[in-house]
Amino acid sequence: MLAIALVASTATLAWTQSPPRRTAATAGAARIPRTSQGHPDFSGIWQALSGPEYDLEPHGPRKDAPPGEGIVDGGTIPYTPAGLARRQANFAARQASDPRLKCFTLGVLRGTYSGEPFQIFQRPRDLTVMYQFGHPVRTIHTNGTTHPGGHIDFWLGDSRARWEGDTLVVDVVDFNGETWLDRAGNHHSDALHVVERWRYVDANTLEYRATLDDPQVYTRPWSLSVLLHRRREPHAQLIENYCYTLDYDQYYPVPTPSAGGGSQ
Amino acid sequence: MSPHVRSLPARLSGRRRGWLGLLGAACVVATGTPSISGQGSAAFRERRVVVTPPGPWTGPRLPDGQPDVAGFWSNTIGNHNNLTDPQGRNAADDGPPPAEGAPRRPRRADAGPVEKAPSRVSDPADGQVPYQPWARARAADFGAHLNDPVKPEYVEPFARCAPGGPTKSFMWHGYEIRQYPGYVVFLFDSGNRVIHLDGKPPLPETVKLWNGESRGHWEGNTLVVTVTNHNAKARFARTGEFVSAHATIQERFTFDPAGDRFTYRATYTDPTTLTRPFTITIPNKRVTADTPIDDWNNQTFLANFPAGERHAPLIEAYERICVEGNDGHGTPAEAPAPAPAAATPTPNVTRRNDP
Repeated sequence: MLAIALVASTATLAWTQSPPRRTAATAGAARIPRTSQGHPDFSGIWQALSGPEYDLEPHGPRKDAPPGEGIVDGGTIPYTPAGLARRQANFAARQASDPRLKCFTLGVLRGTYSGEPFQIFQRPRDLTVMYQFGHPVRTIHTNGTTHPGGHIDFWLGDSRARWEGDTLVVDVVDFNGETWLDRAGNHHSDALHVVERWRYVDANTLEYRATLDDPQVYTRPWSLSVLLHRRREPHAQLIENYCYTLDYDQYYPVPTPSAGGGSQ
Repeated sequence: MSPHVRSLPARLSGRRRGWLGLLGAACVVATGTPSISGQGSAAFRERRVVVTPPGPWTGPRLPDGQPDVAGFWSNTIGNHNNLTDPQGRNAADDGPPPAEGAPRRPRRADAGPVEKAPSRVSDPADGQVPYQPWARARAADFGAHLNDPVKPEYVEPFARCAPGGPTKSFMWHGYEIRQYPGYVVFLFDSGNRVIHLDGKPPLPETVKLWNGESRGHWEGNTLVVTVTNHNAKARFARTGEFVSAHATIQERFTFDPAGDRFTYRATYTDPTTLTRPFTITIPNKRVTADTPIDDWNNQTFLANFPAGERHAPLIEAYERICVEGNDGHGTPAEAPAPAPAAATPTPNVTRRNDP
C-alpha cells in the first residue's frame, strides 16, 4: 500500500515538475505495459477528464459549459480572420449546429478527449481505436505502410504511425471538413494535417499531444495536449452507443401481443 | 455525399479495382468458377452452401492460443434481400448495379429455374421461420411495405444506418475479424461488434443494444457465442423477419483449419414469436489480395508502401461510417412505389441504387 502511494505520488510530481515529459517518461518507463515486441501496449479503455470537449481554449463559466483552463499551447488557436469568423459563427449557433447533436462521428481529436470513453485494441500491425460515441473505428497502421494516394474524405482521417522510442507518432491526413474540435465551434477544413504523439506518463495515464496544421483555417501549426486516464473499474467496458439511431429508436421493435397486441 | 466506402473518389476506387481486376480475372479462369454476369461478385458468390464441420483446430494460433482467423471475410450467397430464398427473389442482384439515378432493373420473373442457394433457415427442414401466426403476419406486413413505408416502423432500420444486429451483419458487405487477448472484434459495413472472451459478465438485461452483449469461448475450431441484451430492433432481411427482445441467441462460428472458409450458425429461441427454435446457417469465405474487387464482398484496398520498397500485396479496409440516417434502401428488384398521399406522415426516405 505504501509502495503504491509512493509510486503514485512520484508520477504526480513528475508530471507537474519541469521538464515534465522527460521526467515522467523516465519515472514510468519500467512499469508501463509492453507488447512482446517491446513497444508500449496502449490496450485498454481510456477517457479524458479535463473537459476540453466544452472548449479547447481558456474560458469562464457558461450556462452550457463549466469553466476550463484550456488545452491549447499558448492558450488560443491562431485562426486566420476567416477562420475566426467561422469559429464565432459556429459558437453562436452551437446549440443547433454542433455535429455532435446529429450524432456524427466526433473526429480524431474530439473523439479522443470528448469525455466519452474509447478502447484501444493493439497488435503489431495496427492499433484499433473504437469510440463509444457512435461506435466508429479508427485504425492506426504501424506496419510501415503509407497514406493512400490522392485526397479521400474520411471522418477519422487516414493514420500511419511509427514508434519513436516509447512514443507512438501518428501522421493523420485525409479528413473531411465536417467535424468540430469541441462544443464551442472550434474547427478545421479537409486540408487538416495532424501529427499525434501518444505516450505513457504512468501505467494508467497517457499523454496525448497533437499538432494541427491547416493553412485554410490557421495562420501557423498549433498544438494541444491532454491526459487520458485508464478506466479501471472491474465492470468497465465499452457500451455501443449508436447515437444516430436514437431519433428513430421509438419505431422499433415490433410490439408483441403482451405489450400491446400484434396490431398498431 | 455519403462518407461510405462506396463514395470514394472514382479514380481511387477505379485505380485499385483495375489493378486487382487482373488478378480477379485470372482467378476465374484458373478455378473455372462459373461466371454469371462477369461481375466480381459472381466470381465470389456461390450457388451452394459449403458447411465446415466442427472439429479440432489444426491451423495457426495466436500467441494467446486462439485459432488465428483474423482477416477479411464475406458471406458467399448474397445479401439480405430475402432470408429464406437468398438468391431467388433478387436475380437482378447478380447483374451490374444500375447507374446513379437510373430506373431499377425489373425483377427477372421469367428467368427460369437455376441452381440457387437454399434457405438460410437450415432448421426446421422446410426452411421457414417457425412463426406464431401473429408474428408471421407482421413479418409479411413489413415485407409488403418495404417500398411503401407509409408508417415509420415500415422503414427497415438497416436502411437508416442502424447496425444489422447479430445475424444480418453476416448477410451484408464483407467484414473484418481482428483478434486480441480476450476479444474477437468484428468490423462490419454498418456497425462493429466486440465478442468478449474475457469472462466479464454481460451488462444487466435492462440495457438493450443493437448488437447485444456477446460472450464467447473457443471449442476446437468453433467460436461459441451467447448473445444477450439485444434490442430486437434489427430485422433479418428486407423480407421482414424479426424476433422479440426475449429471444436467446446462440452462435457458432466454425472455421476450416485451412483458413479459407467458415460457417456461421445462429440458433434463435423465442417463445414470444416462435413455435419452436430455428437455426440460420450462413457460409463465409476469406477475402484475400487475390479476391476480385467487387465493392460488395470485397471492399478492401491495396496498402501503399514507401516508394522503392518491395512487399507482398497487403489489403486493408478504409473507414466505413454510415451516419446520415436518411438513406433508404429498396430492393433493386422492384420499381419504386408511388409516393404516399401528402397528408400521410412519412419518414424522410430517399432511395439509392444499392446492390
